[in-house]
Amino acid sequence: MQVNLLYQPAQAIAQCWLQPGESVVAESGAMVGMSTNVQMQTQSGGLMKGLKRLFGGESFFRNTFTANGGQGEVLFATPLCGDMAVLEAGQRQWCIQNSAFVASSPYVDVKTKTGGIKGMFSGAGLFVLETSGQGQVIIGTFGALEPVQVDGSMVIDTGHLAAWESTLQYKVGKSGSGWIASFLSGEGLVCHFQGQGTVYLQSRNAAEYGATIGAMLPARRQ
Amino acid sequence: MQHIIKYEPTFSMLQVNLAPGETLIAEAGSMVARSANLQMEVKLNSGKNAGFFGKMKTFFIALIRKIVGGETFFVNHFSSPQGGWLWLAPSLSGGIKPITFQGNGMIFSAGAYLASIGDIDLKMRWGGFRALLAKEGAFFVEASGNGQVFITSYGAIEEIYCNGSYIVDNGHIVGFEPQLNFNIKSGGGGLLGFLASGEGIVCEFQGQGRILIQTRNTSALVDWLTPMLPP
Repeated sequence: MQVNLLYQPAQAIAQCWLQPGESVVAESGAMVGMSTNVQMQTQSGGLMKGLKRLFGGESFFRNTFTANGGQGEVLFATPLCGDMAVLEAGQRQWCIQNSAFVASSPYVDVKTKTGGIKGMFSGAGLFVLETSGQGQVIIGTFGALEPVQVDGSMVIDTGHLAAWESTLQYKVGKSGSGWIASFLSGEGLVCHFQGQGTVYLQSRNAAEYGATIGAMLPARRQ
Repeated sequence: MQHIIKYEPTFSMLQVNLAPGETLIAEAGSMVARSANLQMEVKLNSGKNAGFFGKMKTFFIALIRKIVGGETFFVNHFSSPQGGWLWLAPSLSGGIKPITFQGNGMIFSAGAYLASIGDIDLKMRWGGFRALLAKEGAFFVEASGNGQVFITSYGAIEEIYCNGSYIVDNGHIVGFEPQLNFNIKSGGGGLLGFLASGEGIVCEFQGQGRILIQTRNTSALVDWLTPMLPP
């Protein structure tokens, strides 16, 4: 699969070229356009796998696009304005924040990794997908994408996390010294990273954006 | 301190490198990431030399603003004996602009403040009825001193020099210099202009000084969005 990213950084779209018989697996709703010889199949990959994804804040189903009888093209995009990136899984494996996942080569296994109790309370819904196998993964984010090299330790707001190398240790915790201070600081929960590796930050926090605009809208009638 | 602003003007992000012992003050909730050695302390932003009553006043303003839907006026202080770096971002899509202060002052509309460094004093100022009608919120933030303030907006930030007088549509003011006089009035065109021009109330500045405007307007976004939402 060859991936071209167009209209970066604000309105990114991923143009994927498939060889005859080649497939790509995508999050439901991500397809924007495709050539007519590309066939779409909807799968949950088994009830438990589907439920786990649903629990992880993703959709129950994923779609597989396969090019039949010749080369094919598929376009993928995200619902919000933002950038996209192609991550290579293989020597390096990645953890991806669930909402950032767009598509992957079928030889990459993308599994939901429940962040435990802490993940559920992170507010940003920090459910993590972990890759294994070999191939490409396409991520899409809200805002611009900034790769940051962690060497030692670093603190990141959970709402601004897009993806990170799975060699990095991480722990979700409070940002300030106490819980009250953390609440007042407006930072909520943050991710403490340890080790060496790359982290992708997204320059906007979708939950915060929603809360800011939402507070200005009139109340919904009951 | 060194800073870099990236991804202007839509998804701007600010990176700051702090020297050992230097303190950066940032609006609550604006931190994206930081080096782990930086300490974060949350404080009520009530001016440097505010006494007990000044602090109480700020506390009540913060409380009122929380209730009426504005942001609170808590700030985070970041510093470390070894120095460190941090990334900041506003919540809406827009730009970031650094403004240098050398003993002068500037007035900002609520929500424009992102961060400051150096000897900067920030005070809440009651903007009055005109500020409410100008859709700039009931309070302004007045910054003064020596140092740098980083401001943010919805949309890009454009600087205009007011030479005598200048008119800005309500909801587009980011900041202005304190020596400027600011009044609200009808955009012109009599009653029909007031009701039907879509310009309604405008802000008129008089004097000599800088005005900062934003190229988009949050209340216009809200007005556009509201009729499209399901009941």
